Amino acid sequence: MTERKVTFTREQIAAYAEASGDMNPIHLDDEVARSVGLPGLIAHGMLQMGIAATVAAGAAGGPQRLRRLAVRFAGMVVPGDAVTFSAEPAGEGKLEVKAVNQHGVAVLTKSVAEYGA
Amino acid sequence: MAAVAGRTYPAVRFEIESERVADFARAIGADPSDGVPPTFAAVYSLGVTAPQLFGDDEAAVDFARLLHAEQEFEWRRHPRVGETVTSQARVASDTSRRGIRFVSFETDTSDERGSIVCRSRALFVIRS
Repeated sequence: MTERKVTFTREQIAAYAEASGDMNPIHLDDEVARSVGLPGLIAHGMLQMGIAATVAAGAAGGPQRLRRLAVRFAGMVVPGDAVTFSAEPAGEGKLEVKAVNQHGVAVLTKSVAEYGA
Repeated sequence: MAAVAGRTYPAVRFEIESERVADFARAIGADPSDGVPPTFAAVYSLGVTAPQLFGDDEAAVDFARLLHAEQEFEWRRHPRVGETVTSQARVASDTSRRGIRFVSFETDTSDERGSIVCRSRALFVIRS
Protein backbone atom coordinates (compact mmCIF):
# COMPACT_ATOMS: atom_id res chain seq x y z
CA MET A 1 0.00 0.00 0.00
CA THR A 2 1.20 3.49 -0.85
CA GLU A 3 0.36 6.19 1.67
CA ARG A 4 0.89 9.90 2.22
CA LYS A 5 -0.22 12.02 5.16
CA VAL A 6 -0.84 15.69 4.45
CA THR A 7 -1.59 18.39 7.01
CA PHE A 8 -3.47 21.05 5.10
CA THR A 9 -2.46 24.70 5.46
CA ARG A 10 -3.94 27.97 4.27
CA GLU A 11 -0.76 28.55 2.29
CA GLN A 12 -1.12 25.26 0.43
CA ILE A 13 -4.80 25.91 -0.31
CA ALA A 14 -3.94 29.41 -1.56
CA ALA A 15 -1.11 28.02 -3.70
CA TYR A 16 -3.51 25.50 -5.24
CA ALA A 17 -6.08 28.26 -5.87
CA GLU A 18 -3.45 30.28 -7.70
CA ALA A 19 -2.02 27.37 -9.69
CA SER A 20 -5.39 25.87 -10.62
CA GLY A 21 -7.15 29.16 -11.29
CA ASP A 22 -10.00 28.20 -8.94
CA MET A 23 -10.07 31.41 -6.91
CA ASN A 24 -13.53 30.83 -5.40
CA PRO A 25 -13.37 32.86 -2.14
CA ILE A 26 -14.70 29.91 -0.10
CA HIS A 27 -11.12 28.59 -0.43
CA LEU A 28 -9.45 31.88 0.43
CA ASP A 29 -11.59 33.93 2.80
CA ASP A 30 -13.03 32.70 6.11
CA GLU A 31 -15.73 35.38 6.22
CA VAL A 32 -17.04 34.62 2.76
CA ALA A 33 -16.97 30.90 3.54
CA ARG A 34 -18.95 31.44 6.77
CA SER A 35 -21.48 33.61 4.94
CA VAL A 36 -22.46 30.57 2.85
CA GLY A 37 -22.71 28.26 5.85
CA LEU A 38 -19.23 26.75 5.90
CA PRO A 39 -17.14 26.53 9.08
CA GLY A 40 -14.48 28.74 7.47
CA LEU A 41 -12.40 28.43 4.34
CA ILE A 42 -12.15 24.89 2.99
CA ALA A 43 -9.69 23.07 0.75
CA HIS A 44 -10.61 22.49 -2.87
CA GLY A 45 -11.98 19.03 -3.55
CA MET A 46 -9.68 19.09 -6.57
CA LEU A 47 -6.68 19.66 -4.30
CA GLN A 48 -7.66 16.51 -2.40
CA MET A 49 -8.02 14.70 -5.71
CA GLY A 50 -4.65 16.01 -6.89
CA ILE A 51 -2.92 14.66 -3.78
CA ALA A 52 -4.82 11.37 -4.10
CA ALA A 53 -3.56 11.15 -7.68
CA THR A 54 0.07 11.48 -6.55
CA VAL A 55 -0.47 8.54 -4.20
CA ALA A 56 -2.25 6.50 -6.88
CA ALA A 57 0.60 7.35 -9.29
CA GLY A 58 3.12 6.03 -6.76
CA ALA A 59 1.23 2.74 -6.53
CA ALA A 60 0.79 2.58 -10.32
CA GLY A 61 4.49 3.02 -11.11
CA GLY A 62 4.33 6.64 -12.25
CA PRO A 63 1.84 9.39 -13.04
CA GLN A 64 1.95 8.75 -16.77
CA ARG A 65 0.50 5.27 -16.17
CA LEU A 66 -2.77 6.54 -14.68
CA ARG A 67 -5.70 5.92 -17.03
CA ARG A 68 -8.64 6.77 -14.82
CA LEU A 69 -9.31 8.33 -11.46
CA ALA A 70 -12.77 8.75 -9.98
CA VAL A 71 -13.53 10.24 -6.57
CA ARG A 72 -16.50 11.25 -4.46
CA PHE A 73 -15.99 14.30 -2.26
CA ALA A 74 -17.60 13.11 0.97
CA GLY A 75 -16.27 15.51 3.58
CA MET A 76 -14.83 18.98 3.96
CA VAL A 77 -11.16 19.53 4.64
CA VAL A 78 -10.14 22.64 6.58
CA PRO A 79 -6.70 24.06 7.44
CA GLY A 80 -5.08 21.96 10.17
CA ASP A 81 -6.75 18.73 9.08
CA ALA A 82 -4.31 15.85 8.73
CA VAL A 83 -5.52 13.58 5.93
CA THR A 84 -4.00 10.20 5.15
CA PHE A 85 -4.24 9.35 1.45
CA SER A 86 -3.69 5.76 0.42
CA ALA A 87 -3.88 3.53 -2.63
CA GLU A 88 -3.97 -0.23 -2.51
CA PRO A 89 -4.24 -2.89 -5.19
CA ALA A 90 -7.80 -3.91 -6.06
CA GLY A 91 -7.25 -6.29 -8.95
CA GLU A 92 -5.28 -6.15 -12.19
CA GLY A 93 -4.50 -2.51 -13.02
CA LYS A 94 -6.89 -1.24 -10.37
CA LEU A 95 -6.42 0.63 -7.11
CA GLU A 96 -8.71 1.49 -4.25
CA VAL A 97 -8.03 5.08 -3.20
CA LYS A 98 -8.83 6.38 0.27
CA ALA A 99 -8.49 9.64 2.16
CA VAL A 100 -9.24 9.65 5.88
CA ASN A 101 -8.88 12.62 8.25
CA GLN A 102 -7.49 12.72 11.80
CA HIS A 103 -10.93 11.86 13.20
CA GLY A 104 -11.12 8.69 11.14
CA VAL A 105 -13.70 10.22 8.78
CA ALA A 106 -13.37 9.44 5.07
CA VAL A 107 -13.18 12.65 3.04
CA LEU A 108 -13.00 10.79 -0.28
CA THR A 109 -15.22 7.75 -0.77
CA LYS A 110 -15.95 5.33 -3.63
CA SER A 111 -12.61 6.35 -5.11
CA VAL A 112 -10.80 4.19 -7.62
CA ALA A 113 -7.89 4.46 -10.01
CA GLU A 114 -6.99 2.41 -13.06
CA TYR A 115 -3.60 2.22 -14.70
CA GLY A 116 -1.89 0.62 -17.64
CA ALA A 117 1.48 0.31 -19.32
CA MET B 1 -34.33 27.41 -12.50
CA ALA B 2 -34.10 25.97 -15.98
CA ALA B 3 -32.89 22.47 -16.69
CA VAL B 4 -30.30 22.62 -19.46
CA ALA B 5 -29.60 18.93 -20.11
CA GLY B 6 -28.03 18.41 -23.53
CA ARG B 7 -26.61 21.90 -23.77
CA THR B 8 -23.12 22.13 -25.29
CA TYR B 9 -20.64 24.96 -24.98
CA PRO B 10 -18.12 26.30 -27.48
CA ALA B 11 -14.73 24.57 -27.52
CA VAL B 12 -11.96 26.29 -25.58
CA ARG B 13 -8.27 26.16 -26.53
CA PHE B 14 -5.63 26.05 -23.82
CA GLU B 15 -1.84 26.02 -23.99
CA ILE B 16 -0.12 23.89 -21.38
CA GLU B 17 2.63 26.15 -20.09
CA SER B 18 5.60 24.87 -18.13
CA GLU B 19 5.48 27.45 -15.36
CA ARG B 20 1.79 26.81 -14.65
CA VAL B 21 2.38 23.06 -14.65
CA ALA B 22 5.31 23.38 -12.24
CA ASP B 23 3.29 25.59 -9.85
CA PHE B 24 0.42 23.09 -9.99
CA ALA B 25 2.74 20.14 -9.36
CA ARG B 26 4.27 21.84 -6.32
CA ALA B 27 0.82 22.70 -4.93
CA ILE B 28 -0.20 19.02 -4.88
CA GLY B 29 3.21 17.78 -3.74
CA ALA B 30 4.13 16.17 -7.06
CA ASP B 31 7.58 16.28 -8.62
CA PRO B 32 7.58 19.00 -11.32
CA SER B 33 10.13 16.96 -13.29
CA ASP B 34 7.53 14.16 -13.73
CA GLY B 35 5.75 16.08 -16.49
CA VAL B 36 2.16 17.27 -16.52
CA PRO B 37 0.40 15.90 -13.40
CA PRO B 38 -2.66 13.84 -14.40
CA THR B 39 -5.01 16.05 -12.39
CA PHE B 40 -3.76 19.14 -14.23
CA ALA B 41 -6.88 18.14 -16.18
CA ALA B 42 -8.58 20.18 -13.43
CA VAL B 43 -7.12 23.14 -15.35
CA TYR B 44 -6.94 22.19 -19.04
CA SER B 45 -10.26 20.28 -19.12
CA LEU B 46 -12.69 21.10 -16.30
CA GLY B 47 -11.07 24.43 -15.40
CA VAL B 48 -11.52 26.01 -18.81
CA THR B 49 -15.08 24.76 -19.36
CA ALA B 50 -16.80 24.92 -15.95
CA PRO B 51 -16.84 28.77 -16.05
CA GLN B 52 -19.00 28.47 -19.19
CA LEU B 53 -21.64 26.63 -17.18
CA PHE B 54 -21.34 28.92 -14.15
CA GLY B 55 -21.60 31.99 -16.36
CA ASP B 56 -24.61 30.68 -18.30
CA ASP B 57 -27.61 32.77 -17.21
CA GLU B 58 -30.08 30.21 -18.55
CA ALA B 59 -28.41 27.39 -16.62
CA ALA B 60 -28.72 29.62 -13.53
CA VAL B 61 -26.26 27.68 -11.39
CA ASP B 62 -26.04 29.38 -7.99
CA PHE B 63 -22.29 29.25 -7.45
CA ALA B 64 -22.56 30.00 -3.72
CA ARG B 65 -24.76 26.91 -3.21
CA LEU B 66 -22.76 24.64 -5.44
CA LEU B 67 -20.87 21.59 -4.22
CA HIS B 68 -18.51 19.57 -6.36
CA ALA B 69 -19.76 16.11 -5.36
CA GLU B 70 -17.89 13.77 -7.71
CA GLN B 71 -15.11 13.97 -10.28
CA GLU B 72 -13.78 11.47 -12.76
CA PHE B 73 -11.00 11.79 -15.30
CA GLU B 74 -10.19 9.22 -17.96
CA TRP B 75 -6.96 9.68 -19.87
CA ARG B 76 -6.08 8.19 -23.24
CA ARG B 77 -2.69 9.78 -22.75
CA HIS B 78 -1.29 12.63 -20.72
CA PRO B 79 -0.60 15.87 -22.58
CA ARG B 80 2.90 17.33 -22.62
CA VAL B 81 4.13 20.76 -21.68
CA GLY B 82 3.91 23.06 -24.70
CA GLU B 83 0.90 21.31 -26.24
CA THR B 84 -2.29 23.18 -27.01
CA VAL B 85 -5.43 21.21 -26.23
CA THR B 86 -9.07 21.91 -26.99
CA SER B 87 -11.87 21.18 -24.52
CA GLN B 88 -15.56 20.98 -25.25
CA ALA B 89 -18.21 20.57 -22.59
CA ARG B 90 -21.82 19.51 -22.37
CA VAL B 91 -24.45 19.18 -19.69
CA ALA B 92 -25.00 15.41 -19.68
CA SER B 93 -27.91 15.56 -17.25
CA ASP B 94 -29.70 18.11 -15.11
CA THR B 95 -32.25 16.83 -12.63
CA SER B 96 -33.80 17.95 -9.36
CA ARG B 97 -34.98 15.90 -6.42
CA ARG B 98 -36.45 17.34 -3.22
CA GLY B 99 -35.09 20.78 -3.92
CA ILE B 100 -31.58 19.59 -4.71
CA ARG B 101 -30.32 19.96 -8.25
CA PHE B 102 -27.82 17.52 -9.78
CA VAL B 103 -25.85 18.61 -12.84
CA SER B 104 -23.58 16.15 -14.62
CA PHE B 105 -21.04 18.12 -16.65
CA GLU B 106 -18.81 16.33 -19.14
CA THR B 107 -15.78 17.70 -20.95
CA ASP B 108 -13.82 16.08 -23.78
CA THR B 109 -10.29 17.33 -24.32
CA SER B 110 -8.54 16.69 -27.64
CA ASP B 111 -5.06 17.30 -28.96
CA GLU B 112 -4.16 19.24 -32.10
CA ARG B 113 -4.75 16.18 -34.29
CA GLY B 114 -8.26 15.86 -32.89
CA SER B 115 -7.53 12.74 -30.81
CA ILE B 116 -9.14 12.54 -27.40
CA VAL B 117 -6.65 13.07 -24.59
CA CYS B 118 -8.92 13.23 -21.55
CA ARG B 119 -12.56 12.90 -20.61
CA SER B 120 -13.82 14.66 -17.50
CA ARG B 121 -17.09 14.06 -15.71
CA ALA B 122 -18.07 16.34 -12.84
CA LEU B 123 -21.17 16.00 -10.70
CA PHE B 124 -22.29 19.29 -9.22
CA VAL B 125 -24.93 19.43 -6.50
CA ILE B 126 -26.75 22.71 -6.00
CA ARG B 127 -28.76 23.22 -2.84
CA SER B 128 -31.84 25.41 -3.09
